[in-house]
Amino acid sequence: MPNPRDPDRPDPDALLALAAREGRGRLKVFLGAAPGVGKTHEMLAEARRRRAGGAEVLAGIIETHGRAETIAQVGDLPILPRARLEHRGQVLEEFDLDAALAARPQILLLDELAHSNALGSRHPKRWQDVEELRDAGIEVWTTMNVQHLESLSDAVARIAGIRVAETVPDAVLAGADAVELIDIPPAELLERMRQGKIYRPDQAARAMRGFFREGNLAALREMALRRTAERVDADVTGYMRANAIAGPWPAGDRVLALVGADPSAETVVRQGRRIADALRAPLVVLHVERPGEVDAADPTPILRLAEGLGAEVETVVGADLPATILSQARARNASHIVIGRGRPGVWRRWLGRTLSATLARRAADFTLHIVPGPAGKARAALPAPAALPPWLGWGAVPATIALVVTLGYGAEGLLAERTLGMVFLAVVVALAALLGPWHAAAGAVLGFLSWNFFFLEPRYTFELLEGADLVGLGAFAAVALLLAGTTGRLGRSVRTARARMLALRRLVEFSRRLGGPGGLADLLPAVAEEATRVAGTPSAVVMPLEPLLPGAAPEPVVRAAMPVTMELDETAMAAARWALAQGRPAGRDTDTLPTAPWQFRPMRTARGVVGLVGVKLDDRAEPLAGETDKALTALLDQAAVAIERAQLMEREARGAARAETEQLRTALLTSLGHDLRTPLTSIRGALGTLRASGDALPAETRADLLLAAEEETARLSRYLSNILDMVRIEHGQLEPRREPVNIPEALEVAVARARRTTGREIRVMVRERLTEPRLDPALLDQILGNVLDNALKFSEAPVRVTARREGHEVAIAVEDEGPGIPAEDLHRVFDPFFRVTRADRVAAGTGLGLAICRGLAHAMGGRIAAESPIHPEGGGTRITLRFPA
Amino acid sequence: MSARDVARILVVDDEPQIHRFLKPALEAAGLAALRAETGAEALRLAATQAPALALLDLGLPDMDGQDVLVRLRAFSLMPVIVVSAREREAEKVQALDAGADDYVEKPFALAELLARIRVALRRGQPIEGKRDGMMRFGPLELDLTRRVARLEGQEALHLTPREWDLLAALARAGDGRVVTQRQLLTAVWGPAHVEDTQYLRVYVAQLRQKLGAAATLIRTEPGVGYRFGAH
Repeated sequence: MPNPRDPDRPDPDALLALAAREGRGRLKVFLGAAPGVGKTHEMLAEARRRRAGGAEVLAGIIETHGRAETIAQVGDLPILPRARLEHRGQVLEEFDLDAALAARPQILLLDELAHSNALGSRHPKRWQDVEELRDAGIEVWTTMNVQHLESLSDAVARIAGIRVAETVPDAVLAGADAVELIDIPPAELLERMRQGKIYRPDQAARAMRGFFREGNLAALREMALRRTAERVDADVTGYMRANAIAGPWPAGDRVLALVGADPSAETVVRQGRRIADALRAPLVVLHVERPGEVDAADPTPILRLAEGLGAEVETVVGADLPATILSQARARNASHIVIGRGRPGVWRRWLGRTLSATLARRAADFTLHIVPGPAGKARAALPAPAALPPWLGWGAVPATIALVVTLGYGAEGLLAERTLGMVFLAVVVALAALLGPWHAAAGAVLGFLSWNFFFLEPRYTFELLEGADLVGLGAFAAVALLLAGTTGRLGRSVRTARARMLALRRLVEFSRRLGGPGGLADLLPAVAEEATRVAGTPSAVVMPLEPLLPGAAPEPVVRAAMPVTMELDETAMAAARWALAQGRPAGRDTDTLPTAPWQFRPMRTARGVVGLVGVKLDDRAEPLAGETDKALTALLDQAAVAIERAQLMEREARGAARAETEQLRTALLTSLGHDLRTPLTSIRGALGTLRASGDALPAETRADLLLAAEEETARLSRYLSNILDMVRIEHGQLEPRREPVNIPEALEVAVARARRTTGREIRVMVRERLTEPRLDPALLDQILGNVLDNALKFSEAPVRVTARREGHEVAIAVEDEGPGIPAEDLHRVFDPFFRVTRADRVAAGTGLGLAICRGLAHAMGGRIAAESPIHPEGGGTRITLRFPA
Repeated sequence: MSARDVARILVVDDEPQIHRFLKPALEAAGLAALRAETGAEALRLAATQAPALALLDLGLPDMDGQDVLVRLRAFSLMPVIVVSAREREAEKVQALDAGADDYVEKPFALAELLARIRVALRRGQPIEGKRDGMMRFGPLELDLTRRVARLEGQEALHLTPREWDLLAALARAGDGRVVTQRQLLTAVWGPAHVEDTQYLRVYVAQLRQKLGAAATLIRTEPGVGYRFGAH
């Protein structure tokens, strides 16, 4: 048992990371500082060496750029044909991912990691192809220039004045198993360039004036060298941790960057990355969600960027921003905190309560970095809270004021002109509540001016006679503006609360539907319906169909759609297939098959992906975001759990049904063993005796043996027809006829037959006129025969048969005076092959008679019940049949 | 043959139909039938009527056939033939281990039942009582005292001690009588090895090979054991 505090124990996280790498294909990156340093050349040379050593190498994409040296290196390497994609009439050649996956080479060469794939490819970026290839266990070798690294794009833009459009997330490079730096000094590179080994002479001259300046090249080279050095460092650290080598660790330096959803956030993330890189420390990007912050923008894009830059992303909820930041920083052992220079409110700035000031005061043990906000960009305007179109809202303000002025004239003499001020005030409050603070402010100014101009002496001027009016007017302005602010906020809160309540009510309603008893058939349409309501688009629920071949990918099947007639085209199904296999979103606005009209998101539970929800987004200009996105995510989680529950319940029900069938089969086998064998033994024995010594036997013995054989044959055939009846009933193959049946007559027929065969006394009592229930007379006769047989078998005394009306039913009862049925067996007497065990075991039947009666009665819409004892002193059994009359 | 010399066969079965044909069949074969439909009745008749042999059905209404057998063995050494259905393999073996002499499966052929009854009745004379320790089964001759087995007109067979023990155990059980795997394993390998049925398969195969033409003397009863003998 290893001691968890044992310092020599390998770090489990490090081992896990290693294990995760082991299942995947390796990734080797040939990293360079600039084009032309010889990355592709080197990759090809090494690939040919490996091929000569027996490795299976396939060239996926090689960009030779027409360079003679590189072309020579390709040699006899097998080359994967490119896929031809047609997009808007243009034919594009692109790397054929599926062909590469199918070919399954040991090593696949894929030049230009940062390449953006042609439209219509599965992934927009080549590095995503690489991830999928590695997931499939294929080793990939690729090339890349350092300026394409996401975190360096800012720096490169500053140094070289060129913004690189094609970037690769830092995590991809960090996840590479090997990075080989291809380095030549800038002077040498420029020399090669002059010799025309890289570009054609005219291009070369242009390039050397632009990107290929020596200063640029030196800076890029430094970046490449530094990145590689960091990597070597990380490799050593990882190795030491995995092998529990105690060493001089860096003291857990960590950089924590705080982001909101404001435009400065991007700069904060990039700056944090740079600081972390400089310190060679990990970066944590923290987003604090504050309760009650109702219309905050969606931070998801910025957090995605942070992940792309290789940062660890954490979202926490906390009301007190500085306290939350500090507790997170301490918990994560951060030494540096990076924040943006936000735009705190006027009051806070005056009071010195800005975030930076508070942190500076309270975070004495941290290095605080404050990143400047983007210049010239104003804060994103608040969305207009009013539901009215903006022109109508703004038109309403002067219209209302004009109305008040008109009313003021109409009421002249009735109303003191000063009182009119209160009316203006009321109007401002109304504007604030209905339209928002800006409308109210405009209303306040307009009202102030109108009151002054139209009603206060001297009229039709903006001058004032009395000082008292001046004070009043000032007070009006102040109160109106203050009210405008608070009322506006209040109105907005009310609207948000109402929207929330509506969303909540919908959620509750939906979860009630999900929790319903209907099973999958009801559940899936409900999910589709809800997805359509949430996203405002057509939607579909896609479930996996178990593949016919084990190990094959599950095939997606549309199980519900909204509108119901919606159909999915082949591109959409391809996206669904991928999403199902990978358990990740695919289709429109994702990284995989973004040209598909649909977006599919997985419904996941702890056990895995239960299915997909697809939304049709091709008619929407914008990707799903904000509240809609959140609501859809919540829907997915809820639906996943509900679907899994329904699936488990269905499986359980199937299992129970199977167990019941199994029980019946066992009972059938046992019964066959005994009930077939006994008559067979008798028949065989009787015939054997007759054959062996027939002549020696007295005549009456011979006759008796023949009779025994005949009787036993009859018993056997009765048993077989019972079994067949039972099977027919069990399989629902019984189709009773329906015709009015005269009950006393039917009783008389059955009783007469029983009297004939047994010679026993049976009393029939029918005291009233009975309606004639619609039944199958033959089946009824069979039931009566079986029940009478049973009663006669268990009792020596006369059997009584009665029939009477019971409400809307006709009840037929057969009573015997036998020992009765033990209470614990009463509910089982109608089960197939059940036999009441009796001490003397006389006249044991097949155990099928009553089971058949029940089956037949049910088939005709009737019921059958057993009661015992029927006398207070015990004993006796009553079997009652009831049929609707 | 006087009435007193007629061997009485106790037939224990709860099915009246079985008695209906067995009684005339046994009588025609020169035997008498005693009828018992319950275990209690069977024990009473066995104690009072001194039957020569019992045919015992294991499915009885009042008590388990196995119990009847155990109680019977407490006071009687008479041969017992178990009558049972084929799927009750385990019960059959249990009954044989508990002291039953043979078994027949329902539905049985009358001729076979009568043959089994004759074999079991013959066992009444103890085999080991033969003074010279010599036994003969068709072409095979066994000398129990000198531990030698010889086929007619040939030299002694080369048997390992275990092979001899196994052959002797089969032979001592009697001509044509079934011996369970458990009984053989206990006799030859000891009580610790009663589950090691693979020993039996291996050694029986070796024995059969050495017996050559006489290999058919050892007959396998699948799932139960072996019979040994020329009949």
